[in-house]
Order: sequence, then C-alpha cells, then structure tokens
Amino acid sequence: MSYFFQLVVSGVVVGSIYALSALGFVLIYKSSRVLNIAHGQIIAAGAFITYALTVWAGIHIAVSFILSMVITFFLAMSVERIFLRRLIGEPIISVIMVTIGLMSIIDGIVYLTPFGAGNFSFPEFLPRTPISFWGVSMSWTQMVGVVITFTMIGAFTWFFKASTVGISMRAVSDDQFASMSIGISVPKVFGLAWATAGLSAAAAGGIIGNITGLNFEVLHSFGIIVFPVVIVGGLDSIFGAIVAGIIMGLIQQFAAGYLDGNWGLFGTADVLPYIILLIILLFKPHGLFGIHEIERV
Amino acid sequence: MSENRWLATGNFFTSYKAEQRIFLTNVDKLVFACFLLLLFVWPLVFTVSNKNMLVIDSILIAIVAVYGLNLLTGFTGLISIGHAAFVGVGAYTLASFAQILGSDHVLLTHCWPLMILLAGGVGASFGAVVGLPALRLKHLYLVIATLSFQMIFQWAINFSKFFDQGQTIAIGRVFWFTGKVVRKQHYFFWYYVILATVVVLGFAVRNLLRSKHGRCLVAVRDNDRAADAMGMHPGFTKVYAFALSGFFAGVAGALHAYLWRGVGFESFMLHHSISYLAMAIVGGLGTLVGSFLGPAAILMLELQMENFAEFVGHFFTAVGDVATAFRPLSFGLVIVLFLMFEPRGIANWWRIARSYFKLWPFRY
Repeated sequence: MSYFFQLVVSGVVVGSIYALSALGFVLIYKSSRVLNIAHGQIIAAGAFITYALTVWAGIHIAVSFILSMVITFFLAMSVERIFLRRLIGEPIISVIMVTIGLMSIIDGIVYLTPFGAGNFSFPEFLPRTPISFWGVSMSWTQMVGVVITFTMIGAFTWFFKASTVGISMRAVSDDQFASMSIGISVPKVFGLAWATAGLSAAAAGGIIGNITGLNFEVLHSFGIIVFPVVIVGGLDSIFGAIVAGIIMGLIQQFAAGYLDGNWGLFGTADVLPYIILLIILLFKPHGLFGIHEIERV
Repeated sequence: MSENRWLATGNFFTSYKAEQRIFLTNVDKLVFACFLLLLFVWPLVFTVSNKNMLVIDSILIAIVAVYGLNLLTGFTGLISIGHAAFVGVGAYTLASFAQILGSDHVLLTHCWPLMILLAGGVGASFGAVVGLPALRLKHLYLVIATLSFQMIFQWAINFSKFFDQGQTIAIGRVFWFTGKVVRKQHYFFWYYVILATVVVLGFAVRNLLRSKHGRCLVAVRDNDRAADAMGMHPGFTKVYAFALSGFFAGVAGALHAYLWRGVGFESFMLHHSISYLAMAIVGGLGTLVGSFLGPAAILMLELQMENFAEFVGHFFTAVGDVATAFRPLSFGLVIVLFLMFEPRGIANWWRIARSYFKLWPFRY
C-alpha cells in the first residue's frame, strides 16, 4: 500500500509541474486563440537561463529563479512583438505554423549553446534527507517545487479574477471587438499574455530543472506533454489545466509503476497520455472543463 | 472567333471546360513534354555519381510525401505535424513483411510495385483513423491529434521487439525484367521508378483537384459551413483528406525503404515532420508546383547547411554541436520568414515569372 501512496505523491508532484507548464499555454490560447507549439522550448529556455545565472554567474538560486522569470517575461514578449504581431489578422493556420517554426529556431539556438547536449544538475541547496511520513518519502526539492507551483497557480488565479490587466485579458479572450471598443489595446494584451506565459514557463522550467536535472530532451518531452494536459482539461480552462495536469501526472506514475515490465510493456508512461488524448478528442473533444462554443453562421 | 491554342495573353475562357484544362496553351504542353523527356533522358547522357543520384532520389521521394502534406495542409487547411510518422507507416509496412517473411522474399523483391501500393493503402487507413476526430473538431485540435500520432508511432517502433527497437531492418534487392538490380544500378534504377511515380501521382493530384472530390477539399478549407450548406460533409471530407495524405505518405515511405534498402527508426522523427511542413510552406501551400519546388529548395538548403556547419565548425570547436544546431535553426527561420514575407511560397515567384513571359513584350 505504501508503494501506491508513493506513486500518488510523485504523481501529484509531477502533475503540479505539468499544470504550471500548461498554464502558460492556456493563457496564450485563451487570449489570442493561438496554439503555441513552441511552449516546451520556452520552458527549456527558462530552465537554462536559471541554470546559467545560478552556476555560471554564481547568483543565489532564489534570486536567479526570479531573475530568469523576469528575463523570460521580456523574451516571450519580444517573440510576440517580432514574429506574431505582424500576423494579427492572418488566418490562424499560418500563425500556428509560425509557432512551429519558432520551435525549430529555439531548438537551433539551444543546440548552439552547451546545453544542447549533455546533462546538467543544479547544486544542492536544500537538505538531502527526504521527508518521510507513513512510509512515503518526498525530497525537499520536490516539496519546495510543489509549494512554489501552487503559490504561482494561486497568484495567477488571483491575477485573472481580480487585477485590471487580468480582467482585460479575459475580456479580449471573450470578444476582441467588444474589448477594443471599450478601450483595451488588443495587441498589448496579446503581448502581455505571451509575457506572462513566458514567466510561468520559466518558473516551471526552473522547478523541473531542480527536480529532474537539466536535459534538453527531457525538457522537450515536458513541452509536448502539455498537449494531452490541455486537451483533457479543456483548451481554454485554467482550472481544467490544473486538474488535468495532476491527473496526467498520476496516470504516468501509475503506468510506470504498474504497467512497465508486465505483459511485455515498456515506456508506457511516455505513450499513455497521447492515447488518452486521441480518445478524448474522439469522445469528449472539449475536455473536462472547456467551453463548448456555439458556432453561428 | 477560334482561339489560338499556341499563344495566349490572358484568360479568355468561354466555357468551364476550357478553364479546367491542365495545360492552358499548347506551348505549355510542349514545354512540359520536353522537360519530362529531359528528366528521363539526362541520366543516360551524363554520368552521375551515386552520391548525387541519392540526393536527387531523396528529393523525388520528398516530393511524393509533400504531395500528401500539401493536399492536407494546403488544399484542406489542416496542419499536420505527424507527416513523417505516416511516411514511417509506409516504410514499416514493408519492414513487417521483411520481418515475417525474410528480407529476400519473393513478395518484396519481385512484387515491389504491389508492395508500394499496399504501403500506400496501409498509410491511408492509418491516416483515416488519425483523422477521425475531424468528424467533430476544428483544425486546432487536429494539429494536436497528428502530433500525438507522431508520439505514439515513435513509441510503438521504439519499444516493440518485432521491429528490433527501431534498429535498421534490411529490405532485399528488387528484380526487374533484366534480373536483379545490382549495386551499381541501384540508384539509377530507383531514379526512374520514383520519377515515374512522381509523374503519375502528380497527374493524379492535378486531376483530383479538377474533379468534384478535389474541389470539395478546397471548399471545406475556405469555409466549412458554406461547404456544409452546399451539401458536402465537412467531417467526412476532412477524414478523406487525411486518408489521401496518408496514401501519398505511405507510398513515399515504401520508396524510401526500397531506396535505402532498409527501414530505420531515425528517419521518421518529429523533426522530419517539421521539415516536410517546411517543404510545403516554402514551396507554396495549395499549389501543385509548390510540391516540386519546396522539397528541392529545402533539401538543397539542408545540404548547404551541412557544408556550412562543417566550415564553421573549424572555427568554433568549443561551442555546442554546430551541425545539429544549424538544421533546426535554418528550417525554423525559413518557415517563419516565408510565412511572414512570402506566405504563398516559391510557387508565387514561379507564377510571377510565368506571367511575365506570357505577357512579354507588354508589361501587363
């Protein structure tokens, strides 16, 4: 039974990071209806910036964590400004293809740096002895990561519910023309949506880097797993992303814990989310909490 | 007034039938026939090294695959980032025959045209299954469906004992009427086979787009609700587009397997899907000419990038792997720059050049 609880705990840890990664993706989709295929690459960029600041520049990790969020905030904003601002009004299909191109470009840039190949791990800054209770253990890094994740998610929820900027973002996602008519600058909101997405991506990247170590391939897979998460949760629901993230984390841990090695199956944790994604697309395409839009001719 | 079928300076169609012609003027027909003849004759006149022939063969195979992607993305407006997986389905159809029957079984070596068609059929059925969500969903969701198919494909090959965990599975040499195609003639032989496939399938695509079944793809792309009102079923049309694109991909995969005489996992990864998309975009989405120009341009760019990376690598040995970096970097840049500045692709340049010569010596 303690094996089961161990899986639950690590599932929740991984799942909450998925939720944080998916948050930025949902943000961009909600405000501008763009599927940002390059989101995983932004997460990776955030993680590498945190590492570079911590290890190479020698800044304390707490400071560099926040600093990298700020840097990625502006990076994502400039990506929107340079590449996507011109495409406002173009068909959505070409905007999506631009993000596919962006994914490739960021890949190339990362391969140019030493981060493209090899593994990096953050220096230990927390006690090494894991926290144990009722036979379930959890490392301090995971604990801190989960706490930061939930704080960030709470902060974002508050931001959307209460702050003026958040409300204007929601207004734009609801109706662009109506929000323009009451004086909201739609391009500015798009830029801000990308910037906040970058910020949350950097946070997710930093936490992933601390828990699993930095490897570009691993960060890649974190970027792609965002898709099953957002589809299960519903593309435009932040709450859905959080719930689905945790569900996905649990499913992966259970698959790795119970399916692998039995019946000749291996690596099921890598494929199960995508099979679930295809099934969800067939039977409940708007996910658990997504809005089923009524289309009018 | 009887029209002059040799010269035309504008569109003077008097019937729908005239507008639907493949070749506008007889000059077009003549030029095309000469070009085709040239394509078939030149390897006999010049001696080409195996290395160059391999490049040309790869371009032609990519053209077959891009036909399919262009039908899906260009003509039906559904983005696919899993096209390499569909190509892989075609290749692995052959590989599974090789695994069960042995790589030199009669079916593989003698009945290869049949096997190529079969691979296309398997690709089509996989395409239809992945496209099933299209019955209910819009294109945004289908991007994710194709991506997840790519991931599932990679997993299925990587973790299955049957396919040797993605190790290369050999495919035997084929037989022609003159006997076994030996090593010296291999690339030469496949050049003709692939070229014939490209020509036949090119005419097939062109004719499809003239017919009711092709025009409904474009109608669904432009406005699916209007298409629905006109009596087409947008969902089935999209599934059918997926199946068509799967067929072309499957044929390309089978040709790939025969050309390289083996099927390996590393030819059908996510970044290959992205390069197919780059080919379609750079060539020009929704044009047939684009399906020829795009693969040629992108594969040439890839070759040049390899040379350039080698050159730069001499100076920056300390920095990460330059060769692996330049590939995604250049592809991404090409995709983004074309979408931003020339969304109609190289095919548009071709169109401009053609209309210039058509109207010459007049300006417009």
